[in-house]
Amino acid sequence: MNLLISLRSEILKTKRTASLYLTIIAAAFGPLMSMLDLILDGVETKERNMILESMFTSKFQMTAVALFPFFLMLICTLLPQIEYKNNAWKQVLASPQTKGQVFLAKFINIQLLVVVFLVANQLLMFVDAVILHFMEPSLHVLSQSVNVLNVLNMLASTYVTLLALCAIQFWLGLRFNNFIAPVAIGFACWFGGTLLAMQLKSDIALYFPYSFHVYTSFPQFKSQLPTVMWQSLAYAALFLVLGFLDFRRRRMVS
Amino acid sequence: MDNTHIIKTEGLCYHYSKNAQTLFDVGVQVERGAIYGFLGPNGSGKTTTLSLLLGLLNNQQGSIEIFGQQLQTNRIGILKKIGSLVESPSLYGHLTARENLEIYRAVYGASKERIAEVLDIVKLDDTGKKTVKRFSLGMKQRLAIALALLPSPELLVLDEPSNGLDPSGIIELRQLIKKLNKAYGMTIIISSHLLSEVEKMVSHVGIIYKGKMLFQGSLAELHLFQRKGSKVFIDTSDNEAAFKLLHSHNVERVGNTVSVPFQNLEQVATINRTLTENKLDVYLLHPKQNDLEQLFIDLTTAHP
Repeated sequence: MNLLISLRSEILKTKRTASLYLTIIAAAFGPLMSMLDLILDGVETKERNMILESMFTSKFQMTAVALFPFFLMLICTLLPQIEYKNNAWKQVLASPQTKGQVFLAKFINIQLLVVVFLVANQLLMFVDAVILHFMEPSLHVLSQSVNVLNVLNMLASTYVTLLALCAIQFWLGLRFNNFIAPVAIGFACWFGGTLLAMQLKSDIALYFPYSFHVYTSFPQFKSQLPTVMWQSLAYAALFLVLGFLDFRRRRMVS
Repeated sequence: MDNTHIIKTEGLCYHYSKNAQTLFDVGVQVERGAIYGFLGPNGSGKTTTLSLLLGLLNNQQGSIEIFGQQLQTNRIGILKKIGSLVESPSLYGHLTARENLEIYRAVYGASKERIAEVLDIVKLDDTGKKTVKRFSLGMKQRLAIALALLPSPELLVLDEPSNGLDPSGIIELRQLIKKLNKAYGMTIIISSHLLSEVEKMVSHVGIIYKGKMLFQGSLAELHLFQRKGSKVFIDTSDNEAAFKLLHSHNVERVGNTVSVPFQNLEQVATINRTLTENKLDVYLLHPKQNDLEQLFIDLTTAHP
């Protein structure tokens, strides 16, 4: 109950902030690019009978590789910055909430926005499908079938795989009293992690949270996805505990 | 349990780094129903002490008892009954006054009606959809006080609440604090380095300097202390003779004059009579009472 009250408080703080706009814009970017791709290049012959399935699965690849990690980096930094920007930490911590409640409520608030991101992304992709249906009636897009379970499975695995990155970025967002440092660290690590897996094909990528996005996005890495998902969960738990211990220990007021 | 004291700290010590001790054995005792002025120059340890009372800093040494309970073991229960404003207002600029209060309403278990009540108390009930970033500093300060009042607190902790306020804002704040104390029975601890400001509203005073408590007591005790420090400055046709005549009064030479401690104006008259009866012409007879400002300077400069 107390956690729910703290969560309510955190959600209210995000009203009229850039967080919700950022979530919707980031979620819309993938479907927008897909739509442009379909308008400019048309639908490949081999995909004509399964374009709807393809839109919800293979076209999600770009989102899973770059947009979703970038969104996580930004949102994990943006939300804790609300307190720094408004000099509000002392009021939060002088209110009758435990530091654990405040920490968890902030993390859950981020997860809610992540869910909004994924749902909005899929809904907008469906809008793409409707537009394509009327643009190219011969495709009968809306009459095609989609394996919903497969789509949900893909979304869930993407979410779990990036949970480690989310926990680390959340810690960084709480740790730094500015927006640039956590985002810069996150971006540099993402770039390094992608290179490690894609170019260097190093085994280290399997243990580096900022490489995990490639395992959910590219077919050649899919065999190791279950291992990566478990590791991501373990990393997330570890960094949440470390982040909380650091948050509890640190003076949040000058 | 000590029912008379709402705050009781013993032996508080705090250091931000190993080489910089900020508080030394600070004992603060605030009586229920008091308006306690916590005075000290900038950097004397006021905010650190208040931050310790609110659990914003981890207590390193000493004990903190609030409402008869140890802060370390009952922090959440204690904070439910405390309203606070520490230094500058902690408000969300992108939200309205009402939305800022709504954030903490459920946290403090306050009713929806309470928001309208506190906005009315601080006269911010007509700000509508104006966001806080467009508020003047005085309005922000008043909203921060409304936030502190939200839980209908038994104890109000205000750290330098008049910072940045114009004279009329300071007067309004003073009236509000007196009203809260009188009408709602709130115990209030208010820190300031503006001595003239708190002197007009407090019932008790604590003076801290360089992390050490120099004085603590009621305003009446402070005035007694003040009277003890009052002196009359005298210049006569023969100050050497005057010095000898007043020897039994702990007389001192101050430049070209002599000074004699006094406790009431009758004593001044007696001194004057003694001088004139001994054929000394009195050119100057200047009783100088220690005001709080002078007392504060005396207290702080006596402890380098």
